[in-house]
Amino acid sequence: MKTVRLVLGYLRHNLMSAMAYRGAFLMQVAGMMLNNATLLFFWWVLFTRMPTLQGWDLGHVMVLYGIVTVGYGVANIVCGNCFRVAQIIAAGDLDYYLTLPADPLTHLLVSRMSVSAWGDLFFGLVVFLLSGPARWTALPLFLVLGVTSALILVSFSVLMGSIAFWVGSADSLANQAIQALITFGIYPVDIFPSPVQLLLYTVIPAAFVGSVPMALLSDFSLGRLAVLLGFTAGLVVVARVMFLRGLRRYESGNLVTVRG
Amino acid sequence: MIRYVSVLRTAARQQWVYRAELGMRVVQMALFMGVFMALWRTAYGVSGRAELAGYTLPEVVWYLAMTETVVLSSSRIFVEISQAVRAGDLAYVLARPLSYPLYQVSNSLGHSAPRFALNLLVGSVVVGIGMGGVVGSVPGLAAFLVLAALSLVLDALVAVTIGLLAFWLEEVAPVAWIYQKLVFTLGGLFLPLDMFPDWLRRIASALPFQFITYVPARAFVRFETQFVLRAAAGQLAYIAATATLMALLWRRAQRRLVVHGG
Repeated sequence: MKTVRLVLGYLRHNLMSAMAYRGAFLMQVAGMMLNNATLLFFWWVLFTRMPTLQGWDLGHVMVLYGIVTVGYGVANIVCGNCFRVAQIIAAGDLDYYLTLPADPLTHLLVSRMSVSAWGDLFFGLVVFLLSGPARWTALPLFLVLGVTSALILVSFSVLMGSIAFWVGSADSLANQAIQALITFGIYPVDIFPSPVQLLLYTVIPAAFVGSVPMALLSDFSLGRLAVLLGFTAGLVVVARVMFLRGLRRYESGNLVTVRG
Repeated sequence: MIRYVSVLRTAARQQWVYRAELGMRVVQMALFMGVFMALWRTAYGVSGRAELAGYTLPEVVWYLAMTETVVLSSSRIFVEISQAVRAGDLAYVLARPLSYPLYQVSNSLGHSAPRFALNLLVGSVVVGIGMGGVVGSVPGLAAFLVLAALSLVLDALVAVTIGLLAFWLEEVAPVAWIYQKLVFTLGGLFLPLDMFPDWLRRIASALPFQFITYVPARAFVRFETQFVLRAAAGQLAYIAATATLMALLWRRAQRRLVVHGG
């Protein structure tokens, strides 16, 4: 309950800070929506040349983009520090979170909000609703799947960022792994050769961010949903355990900073 | 002229210092090309055709490697300029015996040059291995290098012009975003203009964004003397027009400039 209050409190505070500069907020949101739309342009042109690709049509790709961008949006709105874990550990900035009574991992993740991520969230919702007729009925499932995508993105980022506890400067490595997860996540997993697909279900679990939720929306099965939820819960636990284990090795950065 | 070459060389040297960032760019380029190779291979396999809009599979992948080489080397100098305008740092640069806009164009090209070489190398190696060979020809490569150099000059001029808008606009990033997205779409970053639906191809062919990405990459995969000459003439015309606009903007901007002591 205390954690929920912390998350909601930060969410409210960060949103109010962002809204203090309303023009800049709207500009970043619109800019991100435009940015995401250009990625769909490629698919639109491609599907004017061929109606389907391994069973995927433009509507399917739009749903895939919708899930991944909603996941990315939720992850970076609620846990705006998720892609900066390695950087924070290496710079010794964890000290601040360790001196307060709140859970350090949760506190670290939620203490920042990415403003442009609202653009991702809105884009995902709009694209999903435009991807086919009567999408409203599938909206609740879509939102649940967006949240599982967000949890996978955050957990994977924490897992990769925690490497910094052991190797120090893991910023670049963590960033590359996270970028790989997002890059592969927005493409249908079926287009890749089998060995790459195996990697995308395990080492870089991009299939669980986009293609698996997409398959659930087009052909729902309880078994597939159970696998997705099981994988997500497992990754959340592993990421948390890795972070807490790494924390034992953490040495203070002896850094003096002022926080507003 | 020597002064501007020296600015370019210094900016290029600075880029090599940030090796971690260059390393990330290598991975980014390799990853991106890997994804698109898989995607196009599937698309050609599914369609059962050897050619789409006149392009074979290796041609379309090499086309993308070349457009990405240019785009991933393009200028972000507008960020530096708009910050300098807002912070008043411009005062230091104005004292130098250089034209500020041309100084920033040289600076931008200096940033782009090492990235261009690296992207070209990585893109060529990844696609060469993935596609099992090289398409194009020696004249095609020469034409690509010339047209890509002109496209980077044009891109730098546009970026400096956008940066100078900071004298009138509080935030120039949205203008840069719109320009960038137009290059990505109508400029033919992901696919050649020839693959667009007819109506869209006609619009894209009439606009200047093709001179940044489509033109050099198309010359590489399919060298035609007439095309290259027409393309170079188009690029030079837009370089002249953008340089004139940049000079006019700078002249008006200087009138708005107020430098406080400090």
